[in-house]
Formats: sequence, structure tokens, C-alpha cells
Amino acid sequence: MPAARRIAFICPRFAEQGTVGGAETLLKALAERAAADGREVEFLTTCATNHFTWENTVPAGTRTIGALTVSFFPVDDDRDVTTFLTVQGRIDKGVKVSRADEEAWIANSVNSRALIAYLREHLDRFDRVVMGPYLFGVVYAASQVAPEKTVLVPCLHDEPFAYLSIIRDMFHRVGGLMFNLEPEKDLALRLYDLPERGAVVGMGIPDAPTDPQAFARKHNLPNPYVIYCGRREVLKGTPILVAYLQAFRERTGRALDFVFTGSGPIDPPDELLPAIRDFGFVDESDKRQAMAGAVAFLHASVNESFGIVLLEAWLSRTPALVHARGVVLRDQCQRSGGGLWFRHYPDFEECLLRLLDDPALRNRLGESGRRYVLDRYNWTAVDRRLFAALDGGAA
Amino acid sequence: MNDPSALTIHAPGVDTEALVRDIQETVARKQQQGVYADARIARAERANLVNLRDDESFTGFYLTALREASAIDINDFEIRERRERFAPLLVKLKKSIWNLLKFYTYRLWSQQNLVNGLFVTGMESINEQLTSRIKTLEARVAELEKKLDGR
Repeated sequence: MPAARRIAFICPRFAEQGTVGGAETLLKALAERAAADGREVEFLTTCATNHFTWENTVPAGTRTIGALTVSFFPVDDDRDVTTFLTVQGRIDKGVKVSRADEEAWIANSVNSRALIAYLREHLDRFDRVVMGPYLFGVVYAASQVAPEKTVLVPCLHDEPFAYLSIIRDMFHRVGGLMFNLEPEKDLALRLYDLPERGAVVGMGIPDAPTDPQAFARKHNLPNPYVIYCGRREVLKGTPILVAYLQAFRERTGRALDFVFTGSGPIDPPDELLPAIRDFGFVDESDKRQAMAGAVAFLHASVNESFGIVLLEAWLSRTPALVHARGVVLRDQCQRSGGGLWFRHYPDFEECLLRLLDDPALRNRLGESGRRYVLDRYNWTAVDRRLFAALDGGAA
Repeated sequence: MNDPSALTIHAPGVDTEALVRDIQETVARKQQQGVYADARIARAERANLVNLRDDESFTGFYLTALREASAIDINDFEIRERRERFAPLLVKLKKSIWNLLKFYTYRLWSQQNLVNGLFVTGMESINEQLTSRIKTLEARVAELEKKLDGR
């Protein structure tokens, strides 16, 4: 297998703006690192920016963005959204669907015939085709073009879609697999009966100087606060956090506020409104400062494959409090010694009381988390794993 | 530079597993003392139910919290008025409305409370029966496995 000197990266969206998901950020970061290493990199993506509507909002064509050559292709406008949503609803409820339904679902997911045609036409130019996340039609179709050259970055979660036979076939078909963490790899090997294969790479998290008091001072926050950064939606567990914080404030009488950065509705009950501080989308520096001043970074999602924001919080020396069912985030907390986990409200209350009342514990957890990220997720260490995986095909 | 593959669980500094175990023991103790028998917890837990369906210990605790939540307070309460202007008049008006509402809805809500209570009792009883049967079956399976191993 030749070294990966010429690489195509494929992702349904390009992380040009700040409000994209972790998978898009990951694929873009890996592409940038490969380009910085002197490899010839082209990033293929769609013209869509909104992950609900998938409307073509960016002009099609090729542009140079930073160190990357990025080619934008339109999302197919003839997808049958009704069929897609009907089958998706059944899969989501855990109903076993036929192979024909699975194929109808992926065919009417986010696809781009133009992108696939371009990949076919220029395939000889690439030694590797790195693509992800696993759940999208465009990635599924691209994985069929040259499976032997394909390295899938699945960002796999234990969710109903992961159990589909077409997804199983994709994992068996591709030449290589690149995971973010060991638990994600374990899940893939278990779900798809794969022999030991694939590489665990992850992503580098740059350090940034922070002052724990700066954010509270700048925004006049008088009370201690907990923080969540990222998309606010059911899948991310934000309704659990809002409900828990309300119960916590009512039961303990503690004046604890809840700072949010990111996008999406929060929908707090009226009683909690005075304690909610929603800053929306903030720049990286502000986000890190906000994290640094928090008692804890909260994350109740059970469907993460990496948890970039968790690692950022640790770099800011802030301990984490995550849901025990979120295998990946809990594993990160166990490995790093940087966070606690809760099964239900009583655990949450007890964990939060200890973090609030024991600054020494808070510092120990935060420092431990920071050491873990600096050791494991500095770009030098990640580059070594990434380039080895790319050159070896992550087989 | 540390070799990332050499990282192990329980990084130096904090043994979070031991810490969480200690927290869970504290929670179990407080649960026994009835600290979490609270309608507010039942309400807060609604968003998390889907994640707890496999948690064996959770059912008992949730039923206790649910019992607290099932009894709706239908008694009289203090009626106030924040606006100073016409406050006595507005309070009188509100009291009249409440008396009227109480007259027509008391029977309905008291019956609803009764049904809620019976419903929770039924679920508690089913939970107890099933827990006891599972324990008996587990003991039986362990006994049979022991016999098989002894052969």
C-alpha cells in the first residue's frame, strides 16, 4: 500500500463557521494537519450548512480556505424526505426494518451525485479517501467508490442506526477505520463482529491561557456557575441538565447559575430563567474563559464518540460531570481522573454538592483532566497516530 | 512526551472510580433515609427516564419520588395581590373565583388523587413481586450452576 501523499477528505458539511458539529470539526482538523505535513489534500463537501434542512446555501465550486482546497457540491434536491423520515422514525423507535427499507432510507438521506461523480472521475489522483461520519448517504455512497482506498472516520455511537445491515456492510467493506477513542473502536468491533483492526487517533486540542475570574468579571456574574457548551437538543441531553439544575436549586437552596454557549433552544421553565445565562455563539477565547470560571462542565449526552468540548474544559482546569450511560464521556473521565458521572438526579445532586463544597477536589480533578489532554491530545502525539494510520491505511 | 498508549485508567491524582463509588454509597444511604422522596425529583427525572430503564436500583427510588408527586395539593392556599392599587378588592375577587372553582372541582381532584395513589401502590406492589421473584430465580440458577459444576 503506497504512503498517503494525496488524500481526499469527505464530510457532508465543512466547518467554515463556528456552529457545526464535532465530526465536521474533526474531519477539517485532520485534513489541515495532513496538509501541514506536506501532503496534497482536497476536501470534498456539500453546499449545505444547516443540518436540519440541508438546503444548498454555499455556492458550488472550488475555493481555497486556509491551507485547504475545498470543493463544494450541491445536495441532491430530489430526495424523498417523506420516505426518509418515515423509515428513520421506525429505525429510531428500534423497529427492525427490511434491507429494502434501509436502502431507501440511505438513498433518501443527504446525498450528492455531483460529489460522487467527481470522486469517481478523479479517483486516480488520491492514495486515500478519508470520510465520515458514518450516518450520511453521501458517505455511504462514497465508501462504495473505492473501498480499498477508503478510511472511514465513523464517529460511531451506540444508537439504532448503527445496527442497520447496510452500516455493518460498510464497516466490513472499507479498507481502514479511524476511531476517536478505544470505547468507540470496541463498540465497532463488537457490533460488526470485526477482527482487531482500525486505528485510534482522536484530535489535537490546542491549549489557551485562561483566567478563571475573567468571564464572570466581564459579564457581571455574581454567583458560581456550571457550564454547557455546544448544540442544545434532546440528543445532547440538555433537557436533562435544565431539569436537574432546577431541582438542585429548589432542593438545596444554592444560588448556582447555568451558563450556556452554543446554539439551539434551551426552553427553561420560568422559575429557572433568572439562573440561565445564554451567551449563544462566542469565540474560542471567550468560551475557554467561560469554562475556566465554571464549577463544573456538564454534559448529559449518551451519544458522543469523542467529546471535544469536554477536553477543552479540562484544558481550562474545569472538572466534568457527565452521564454514566455516555460510555465515551465516562471513559474519558475514568482515564483522565478529570470528572465524575451520574446515573440519576440523586447522583447529580451529590456530585455537584461535593464539587461546590470542596474547591481542593475541584482543583485536583481539573488539573488531572488538563494533564490528560496535554499528554494525549497535543497535536504532536495526534499527528504521529494520524500519519501512521493514513500511511498504513488504518487497516 | 508521554507515550499515549501507556496511559491507563486511574491517572495519577484522582481515582474517580473510587470517588464515584463513595458518592453512590452516600446516595444509597440517603435514599434509605428518604432524602430523595421528593416530587421535584420525579419531575426532574422525566427527561432521563429513557436512560434509566435498565437500572435495577432506580425503579424503587423513582416510585418513592413518584408517590410524593402523585398527591396533588388541592387545599386552600394564601391568596395575595402584588399590585397595590385595588389590592383588597382584587384579593376578594380572586377568593371568590377560587371558592367557585373549588366547589366545582374538589370532587374531581380528590378522586384523581385517590386514583394516583392507587396507581402508584399498584406499581410498587408489582415491582416488589417481580423483584422478589427475580431474586428467587437468581438463587435457584446459582444453586443449579453449583450442582452442575460439582459434577
